This record gives sequence, C-alpha cells and structure tokens, in this order.
Amino acid sequence: MAEPPGGYFGRALVVDLADGRSSVKHLEERVLRSFIGGAGLGAWLMHECCPAGVDPLAPESPLIFVFSPLVGTPLTTSAKFAVVAKSPLTGRLTDALASSHFAISGKLTGHDAIVVHGCCPAPSVLMIDGESVSTIPADDLWGLSAAETETRLRERMGPAWRVAAIGPAGERGVRYATISHDGRHAGRGGLGAVLGSKLCKAVMVKASRKVASADPSAVLGAARELRQRSFGQATAKYRELGTMANLLAFNAISTLPTRNFSAATFEDAQALSAEQVAELRQVARNSCASCSIGCEHLYRSREGKQVRMEYENVFALGPLCGVGDPDFVIAASGRCDELGLDTISTGGTIAWAMECAEQGLIDARWLRFGDGNALLRAIEEIGAREGLGDLLAEGSRFASRMVGQGSEAFAAHVKGLELPGYEPRTLQAMALGLAVNARGADHNRSGAYEADLSGEHDRLRGGEAHVRAAIETEDRAAIMDSLILCKFLRGVFADPLAEWAQLLNKVTGWDADADELATTAQRIVMTKRLFNLREGWTREEDWLPRRFLSESLQMDSGREASLPPERLESMIDGYYQGRGLKRNGLPTPELLDELDLVTLGVDGGQSPVTKGD
Amino acid sequence: MGSPKAALDWHGSTLLRRVTGLAQRTVDGPVVVVRALGQQLPELHPSVEIVDDARQGRGPLQGLAAGLAAVGARAEVVYVSSTDVPLLHPAFIGRVLTGFGQDVDVVLPEVRGFRQPLSAGYRVSLLPSVEALVADEKLKPAFLFEQCRVLRLDDAAMLQDRAVAEGDPELMSVSNLNERSDYEQALALPAPEIAVRRFGALAPTGTHRLVTVRGWTLGDVAAAVDLPLDEHVVAALNGDQITRDPELPLAAGDELAFMAADAGG
Repeated sequence: MAEPPGGYFGRALVVDLADGRSSVKHLEERVLRSFIGGAGLGAWLMHECCPAGVDPLAPESPLIFVFSPLVGTPLTTSAKFAVVAKSPLTGRLTDALASSHFAISGKLTGHDAIVVHGCCPAPSVLMIDGESVSTIPADDLWGLSAAETETRLRERMGPAWRVAAIGPAGERGVRYATISHDGRHAGRGGLGAVLGSKLCKAVMVKASRKVASADPSAVLGAARELRQRSFGQATAKYRELGTMANLLAFNAISTLPTRNFSAATFEDAQALSAEQVAELRQVARNSCASCSIGCEHLYRSREGKQVRMEYENVFALGPLCGVGDPDFVIAASGRCDELGLDTISTGGTIAWAMECAEQGLIDARWLRFGDGNALLRAIEEIGAREGLGDLLAEGSRFASRMVGQGSEAFAAHVKGLELPGYEPRTLQAMALGLAVNARGADHNRSGAYEADLSGEHDRLRGGEAHVRAAIETEDRAAIMDSLILCKFLRGVFADPLAEWAQLLNKVTGWDADADELATTAQRIVMTKRLFNLREGWTREEDWLPRRFLSESLQMDSGREASLPPERLESMIDGYYQGRGLKRNGLPTPELLDELDLVTLGVDGGQSPVTKGD
Repeated sequence: MGSPKAALDWHGSTLLRRVTGLAQRTVDGPVVVVRALGQQLPELHPSVEIVDDARQGRGPLQGLAAGLAAVGARAEVVYVSSTDVPLLHPAFIGRVLTGFGQDVDVVLPEVRGFRQPLSAGYRVSLLPSVEALVADEKLKPAFLFEQCRVLRLDDAAMLQDRAVAEGDPELMSVSNLNERSDYEQALALPAPEIAVRRFGALAPTGTHRLVTVRGWTLGDVAAAVDLPLDEHVVAALNGDQITRDPELPLAAGDELAFMAADAGG
C-alpha cells in the first residue's frame, strides 16, 4: 500500500460498539486530496458508512470523528476535530466542530477518522489507544455532565487520555444534545443524542503514534508567520471581548433576534453586553490547544461557577427569550453546558414555546418571555425530558407540528435546525445562506453575513450580488471546516484559497493551488447535498419559516426590512444556478462528472440523479 | 462662480460627490447625473450613472427629460437636485418623496416663498409631457406645472416632518451657491454634529460610549475618533447602511456606529 501523504495516516478506524470489534478502512490518497479532512472527509465517509434511510438513533447509524492533516502541526487553531452523523433533529447530514486536545490525541491514535456504530450492551465508555479498542462500564458516570465525566475518567485512567463525552441530555436522547471535550461542544444537530443512543457515555483517545508533515521546517516557518498574523487587528475582537461583542453591535443595526424573531432590537441589550458584563463578571480568558487567539471568555455566575460565554449563548438565552438579566443568562448557559445542550436550539425552542404559551396555544402559564426563572425551568425540563420538556426536547419543528394551531409559522428553524443569532430580514445574503445550507439554519457552514456586513451590498435588498457572496462564503467555510482551521482566523488571509493551499502543500507534499481548493469546496458542498438528497431532501426544505417572509421589521432609519417570498425564491434560484444545479436543486450529471463525485463513490447509485429522476 | 460647480471642493470631497452621495443614501433606486455634452465631472461613486444632456442650452426641462429617460422603469418617482446644494439634508429628500400620493405628479417645495423646481420630486411618467414641452421650446418648469398635478409644500408643510424639523430647521437644503461668496460662506460653516458609538474592541477601555464629533464625511468622523477605515472596521449609518466609504456624506442628526467587520459568532 502506498505511503500516505504527509499529515495523514491513510486510514479510518471502524468500531462496532455491539461487540467491541474494530477494523481499519483504508483511505486512498485520492479521497484525502478530494475531501481533505474534517467536514469534507466526514461527508464522504457518511456516504460510505451510513446506510440509506437509517434512523439517526438506530445502532446502524454511524457517528464519525474526523481529523485533518493540519491537526498536530504547530499551525495555530489547527487542534480541531469534526463530528459527523445523520442528525436526529433534522434527518439530514450534520457536522459540528470542536477543539483542543482530543483532536490531536484522536488523530495520533493512528487514524484520520474514527467511525463508531452499533450499540453498547450497557452504558459504556469507548477507549481507543492506537489499535487497541476496548470499552469500560460507565454506570457510575451515567447522569454526570460531560465535564465531570471527563474529569473522573482522566483521574481514573491518567492524564494522557483525552475525552469527548455527553451529558444527561445526550443520554436521554434530547435531539439537540451535544458532545463536548474540555468544555467545548460539537454543538449542533444532536450528535450527543446519537452517541447516547449507542449507550456510549464517552470516547477516550490516547496518542500512540506520530505523523510527520511532508516538509516540517516549512510548516514550522509557516506556523510562526501565521501566529504572528493572528495577533493583529483581524482577531482583536475575539481577544478583547470575544464573540459577545456582537451583541450591542447587532442591536445597533437591528440584527439582534429578539423574542422569537418578532423584533430585531432588544431593550436590555446593554445589560447583557460584553462591554458591561465583562467589567462585572469576567474571570478569565482561555484558549484551545494550539490556538494563539484566545477567544474564550469565562464569566462568573451568581453561584460562583465559571461559564464560557459567547454571542450565540447570550443571544439565544437572552434576547431571543426576552431575558435581559445577565445572572439568568449566565446561569442558563452554564446549565446547558452541564446538561449537554446546544444553546441555540435550546433557546430557539424555548422562545417558540414562550410565544405559544403567551398566545394560549400550549398550557404553560409559567412560561413567558422575559422570565428568567421560566427559562431555567424549561432548560431543566428539557434536560430531564419531563413535563413540557419532553416535547421541547424534540426541537421546535417537531413540537410545532404537534401543537399546530399556526405555531409552525413562527418556529424559527430550517430543516429542523433552529436559527442562530443573525436576523435574516436585515442580513439577506445570510437569509439565503441559512435557507440552502445542508446542515440547516447555520452561521458557520454559511458565512454569508460577511457579505451583508461588508458595506458592498444593501443588506436589506437581497439579489444577485448576495447570491454570489453566499456561494463564495459557503465555499470558504467548506475548506476551513475541512482543513480544519478556526474561522476566527479568516481575517488574516488576504488571498484565502491560495494561502490555504500553500499551508496544505507544506503539510502534505501536494501541489494544490487556489483553483483546486475552489473545486474541492464545491465538491464538499455537493457531497453534503447529495447525502441529503439520498435521505429524502426536496427543494421545499431550502426555505425560511413564514414569519421571515410575511412580517417586516421597521428600522430606525425609516426603511422597512422585509424579505418577500419571491425575493427569497429568486435568490435560491440564483444559488442553484450558481452551483450548477437544476431548478429542483438536483445536480446535473455534468456537475457530478466535473467534481468526480461518481468515481469517488459519492453518488452511490442512491440519489435521484442517477435514477434518472 | 469661475469654475464648474460640480468639481468645487467640499472639505476634501466635491460638491457633486456630496450631493450624489446624499441622494444615494436616501433613495432606493438609481442615482443619475445629467451632464452637459463634454462636461468633465469629478470622480463619483461607481454606482452613480452618468448621462449626457443631448442638447445644450435647453434649460432644466431638457435635463429633466434626460434624467427621467435614464431612470425609466426602475422607479416611479424621482427627486431632482442641482449640484450646488451642499447643505441638502436626506430628510428633505425623504419628505419630498413621501408627498407622492396617487394623484400627485410633482412635489414642489416652496421655501421662503420661492418655488424650488431643482429641489423637487417628479413622476417618471411625466417624461412625454416634458419632452413635448421641450420640443415646443417651452423650457421653463412653470409650463410643466401648469399641466400636471402639483403638491406644493411650503415651509410649514416641510417642517411638519419631524426629521426635517430636527435635521434641517432652516431648510438650508435649498441654499444654492450662485456667487463665489455664497460658496465661501457655506464652506466656512461648521460641519454637522454626528453621534458616534464604537463597539467591542473598537471602544476605548472596553466600554462603548456615545460621543459627538463634527464631520462632513465618514472619513472625517473616523479620523476624529482615531479609527482607521480599513478592512477590519465597518460603520453603520443610522443603524442601517453598512459602509466603509470615507466620502460618505453626513448630515446633521446622523448616527454612526463603528464595529468590527468580522461578525463571526
């Protein structure tokens, strides 16, 4: 077998939790070069390993940890891993990124990816030490938070082990439960529920091998230079106040989703702002392994706990639920961490429920916008799957279908994934990005807000320029998520694709260029789309909830921010055209050829394309 | 004046750049400059359209016809302005345009008793009427007003609009520069007061605070608060338009919010 390229092992470990057996799946260089790693390689592996039509919570449904050639190099922000599965929340592909030592140790077990399927006979922890794969009982860990689980396991087994674990929410199958490592969550899409369905409390990995870059001294030189650039103005926001700095800025431009997206400014934004809360409550800054930016800002809760606060936590548990008291928002965020809940989906689902309760559509008189105690109670019930929480644990899409009475119109999700803190009516390139992305409503796989906030387009009048921008930012995100590099680093690159190709070449020994990465990006985006197609996606899923298309927002400037359905439709048409898709969203056979998807085994004969539909 | 008005300096910009910029930030549709044949124009924002006035010496109605033809089907109504009104306020434009009901063809401010046809609103569908008048050598706007439905807005009517009353209480929007002395007098006026906020890492000592500075353009204000308008910074004008154009013209009552260009969350 040919030597794998630099930075790779050329293999994926496949583990069956039912009997603890494992095997190795060889990864050809052609596949590695076509998908790189992370989200891209994960999407390819899902085509390979996930049976069509499988229930996401069935034993046959795989959960895949994917690393990348940059992991373990000195390149800043490269200690990241992707977790990929079929989402129990959306029924579509989901990939989430998390950071730090698990990425490095996971890769240095000697594998570019770890595929987990099957179901443990009893609650267990999966341990991977090189080729050695075993499980240990997890009865004493079941019910603990991911952080406590991690602490106990490392105390028991030694600090060389790194742990990715689920909290009680994952154990109970909350459809937006997370997997977390060192306090950082692979948050979106319910990956924690997938692992929980396998009765697997945690995955432990221990480094046992090394992998060299093709040109280690060149990588070291590039790492030094990149590190230096990472200290500049492009990342200042993340160092100084973290992503929470978005809150007041977004409020000032009518882009802060408030009370279930019924408004875009929040009267208590100042009280929740990083500028104000940091003075009172910030305890420390922190960073992931191999990161020179240090975007994590820890705040002290009323109970004295340290909680990692970011914009998405604060928006979702604050303005989106009408809660303006930082004590409640910090406490809510901390509790979501302990239970292992995606804060965006938690806040989004609770906000929907608050609106239902206020309209009398559900019998929950205790649940009101702005009530911090109600917010905390809702989170507890979701985590425990008790009372109203049992319904809310299914996510806003399912819950709104159950409740009916018009509540689906204001369930703010796309494909079942709740919207992040970017108001679509005032960021219309982002509106398109949210609607068409494979994962659902997501601000990381689509970075289209960059275009809205660039000053180059009118963010309230989506059109052709917004379509082009949405495609470009989605492509760049696909590459960053596959390399894997943190998106907070993106501002340091003047010519991203060309510079990323150079970094990749130094590690792998390839001769990739910007054009190749542009094609790779399209391939990755299309691979995800093809997976979804296989699983039943139709064009109707690429859309936004009725609230965004029927209700307008009044700006202080006097302009009205509205997104008429025909404008969104036109932008989606433009997106499909720009992506080489037919009007129904299916790729043409020519596109599949151009991207080598059939020869790479992506189409697999399962999609309507090859069936001739 | 001694030199073409369009290119006259206005605090580091030009009169025409300023007036077209004020129009651009106020209207939804195209901004069209009608120039005399052979006229040199200063640099303008790339989105400003330039059309030639095919026949010289035909007065404002010929220019109006050229402008209406250029706009075409892209708008129902237009605001028409001369070049030499550096104190034009966006609220004034807005007030004129909101005067268009279904039964109005022209919204005509009458400031201090004088009609202001070059600071007025016109329905695009008037083009045939305008062209007919020009062909008939009836070159004064008054001929047009005789044959269409005109809404006259006197000072009181203009100032009923709160934004106009706050931003342009003296209705200086129509003050044009006929003589050199007019220009020099206007140039000596203090720049408008602009409310400025900075967010996140751009705010001193980590707290955002509202300050008031004077400036004619975004570049002026950015310099006044010591912020470079580079790729890492954007400004939001009145909570709406996002920009980093240093020549963006500002007017009294404007608010600017500076924030990091990277909105990753």
